[in-house]
Amino acid sequence: MVDAARHPKITIRSFTEVERVEGYIGNFHVKLNEKPRYVIADRCNGCGQCSPVCPVEVPNEFEEGLGPRKAIYVPHSQSVPLLYTIDMDACIKCYKCIDACGKLEAIDFSQEPKEVWEDVGAIVVTTGYDMFDPSVITEYGYGRYENVLTSMELERLHNSTGPTVGQMMRPSDHKEPKNIALIQCVGSRDSRYHEYCSGFCCMYTIKNAMLLKDLYPDMDVTIFYMDIRTPSKAYEEFYQRARERGIRFIQGRPAQITEDPVTKNLFVEAEDQGLGQPIVLETEMVVLSNAAEPRHDIDKLGEAMNITRDGSGFYMEYHPKLRPIDTPTEGVFIAGAAQGPKDIPASVSQGSGAASRAARIMAADTWGIEPIVAVVDPTVCFEAQGKKCGVCISKCPYSAISLVPGQGAVVQSAMCHGCGGCVAECPHHAITQMHFTDAQILAQLQALLADKPEDKIMIFMCHWCSYGGADNAGSSHFEYPANSRGLRVMCSARMDQSFIMEAFRLGAGMVLISGCHPQDCHYITGQRVAAARFERLAGQLERMGINPDRMRVEWISAAEGAKYARVVREMNAKLQEIGPEAVIAETEKVRPQLDRRLRHLPQVLNVVKPEKEAEHA
Amino acid sequence: MSDNGGTASREDVRIGVYVCECGTNIGGVIDVPSTAEWAANLPGVVVSRDNKYMCADPGQNLIQRDIKAYNLNRVVVAACSVRMHEPTFRACVAEAGMNPFLFEMANIREQDTWVHGHHPEDAETKARDLIAAAVAKAHYLTPLEMITVPVTKKTMVIGGGVAGISAALDLADMGVETILVEKEPSIGGKMAQLNKTFPTMDCSI
Repeated sequence: MVDAARHPKITIRSFTEVERVEGYIGNFHVKLNEKPRYVIADRCNGCGQCSPVCPVEVPNEFEEGLGPRKAIYVPHSQSVPLLYTIDMDACIKCYKCIDACGKLEAIDFSQEPKEVWEDVGAIVVTTGYDMFDPSVITEYGYGRYENVLTSMELERLHNSTGPTVGQMMRPSDHKEPKNIALIQCVGSRDSRYHEYCSGFCCMYTIKNAMLLKDLYPDMDVTIFYMDIRTPSKAYEEFYQRARERGIRFIQGRPAQITEDPVTKNLFVEAEDQGLGQPIVLETEMVVLSNAAEPRHDIDKLGEAMNITRDGSGFYMEYHPKLRPIDTPTEGVFIAGAAQGPKDIPASVSQGSGAASRAARIMAADTWGIEPIVAVVDPTVCFEAQGKKCGVCISKCPYSAISLVPGQGAVVQSAMCHGCGGCVAECPHHAITQMHFTDAQILAQLQALLADKPEDKIMIFMCHWCSYGGADNAGSSHFEYPANSRGLRVMCSARMDQSFIMEAFRLGAGMVLISGCHPQDCHYITGQRVAAARFERLAGQLERMGINPDRMRVEWISAAEGAKYARVVREMNAKLQEIGPEAVIAETEKVRPQLDRRLRHLPQVLNVVKPEKEAEHA
Repeated sequence: MSDNGGTASREDVRIGVYVCECGTNIGGVIDVPSTAEWAANLPGVVVSRDNKYMCADPGQNLIQRDIKAYNLNRVVVAACSVRMHEPTFRACVAEAGMNPFLFEMANIREQDTWVHGHHPEDAETKARDLIAAAVAKAHYLTPLEMITVPVTKKTMVIGGGVAGISAALDLADMGVETILVEKEPSIGGKMAQLNKTFPTMDCSI
């Protein structure tokens, strides 16, 4: 902590939140909100004269509410920066702190939140985790029974800088407990709350047991566990030492805790799987090893930077194995428990890893961006002909398109992220997306639907989410029918309604349109542009006479392989129900209407069929 | 419009198709050699090959040799996900002098053999369709140049816990200006609250 504060290359902006992130790799503009401390940073020297005179006491969050702090406070004596802050919700404005501060004149009640913009080339997100609130597990009585605590509360109790100066005492009578039970997997590995393993609780619980044994050799310490997981270096040895120290390990997740209303002792009921029978342990204190869970406000920052969430709710990495620190947004990296529960050595390593990923960019003078951008043909653009249109401008999430007199709509390439939304929305077909042109996509469609299209499920996928979801189904080996055919574009916004109509004209049995969930969209509003389009399209196709069951729109994240497989299975079941004859008949019936609607599409060469039969076909 | 009109013609398109076995990941489900042989007859394809691991050196060397020997101007690799190896093969063709955007990939592993392992015939039919689609797109690919942007030599680390401090210190030690943003009054995060830490039992701050 102190190293960071003293480093000449590091500027700490504490009590500050990220409000908005604009730009792209190498060129991010970040809007910060510096919250008012009501203390002038340049003047406060951390002397602490102000705090003792403050008449207000509130629970100290740093002490998990077990000790008090004043309305003007530092969270703890080693705070970095060592600057006092006034908690305005608690302050009664008696202004005694101003007198105590004296000549320094560091206190300023007129401070307002300050908006600060910073330009940076790369961003590392290390926002950590929240602790699961165990009070929702009513059978454990946390919040009702005074002597049931969380593991972080225990940390503060046996800490020499904590509210009891390291003296273990139970809250009900402030007496030193003679025995204690530590309960594992509280909120984790529990289908009611979080199915994932919280990872580091086994080790921190064993550590707390060891610390208690060091401090109070006669204390009777019991750990209730489901499985002990100690796979990292030197961890298993640590666990064995704990067993040798006389810490009792009971395999069995407690079903219930009750309290003796007089002694406030607790009765832990569990099935001891070693004995194969139910047991009841009377103990003076219980500590719950509550799980790590995603930050409650994880979406706010995630949406600002287009970082999606995995099935457990933590930030999703670009690739779980090969790019575990990258995010789908180039130049933004994740490290620590924000990506998933992690202990200190793993967090430190990943932090270093993220620094190294970011340093690649910092070491370069320039960075290459994929040229998959939109390009307007001025000979077709209505605005270039002096007529009013502007549809593309209203659909671009990045304000990358502007009107230039005489030239019509012009795309600023460096600002275009390549979603393709404007391309699909342009009513005059004047815009192309490089590398995802109409001709390229139509050629793929023809190839995919060349043989027995009536038996096939044509799937349009966005690169970031549903294509990732299909990959996730693959790496998880979630099987689904093999009559599915996928076509990838960058964003659902690029899925021109003409492509969907063309798939039906080519005779596809079913069409699945898939993309990111709205909050996950890599292109801010791309998914919303697409969703609105497909809602309109569904009505049009139905009016033409296409069975509405033949088209489905689903938002599938890169972590939802199971959902991808399920949707394809369901669509296949529906296709079998409808039957190929009905599909063929319907295709013939609507073909004239589709022909009329699709007159604008470019003709693509027939590059589908083999020119000659293969010798060993 | 001009670019969407389909300007490619069969005469000037020379495509190489490479079907990867990925060990048994693909090769254990479908018949890779016969799939490659089939692909040789697709329009514009002048050479089609199979290989144990296209991403390994011998596989990449094969592509690079063929680009020169057959004067290829399009390359299609049927293998894993574009999220996995598109950058690998783009770099490979670029090294052999081809514009990397004239490369196209068919995902016949994650989106085929890994999910249709119990239906090898259907998986092979699907692989052929996916290869045909990649070849079809290849006909219409155009060379593109990367867009070059400047780099602001400054980083931001959001969150001043142990991971963020570690990242900020490393970046700063490499000489990079780093802004460490923390929403609480003090950095340190959860770790600052801890007493001693495992497995060494030393203090946390």
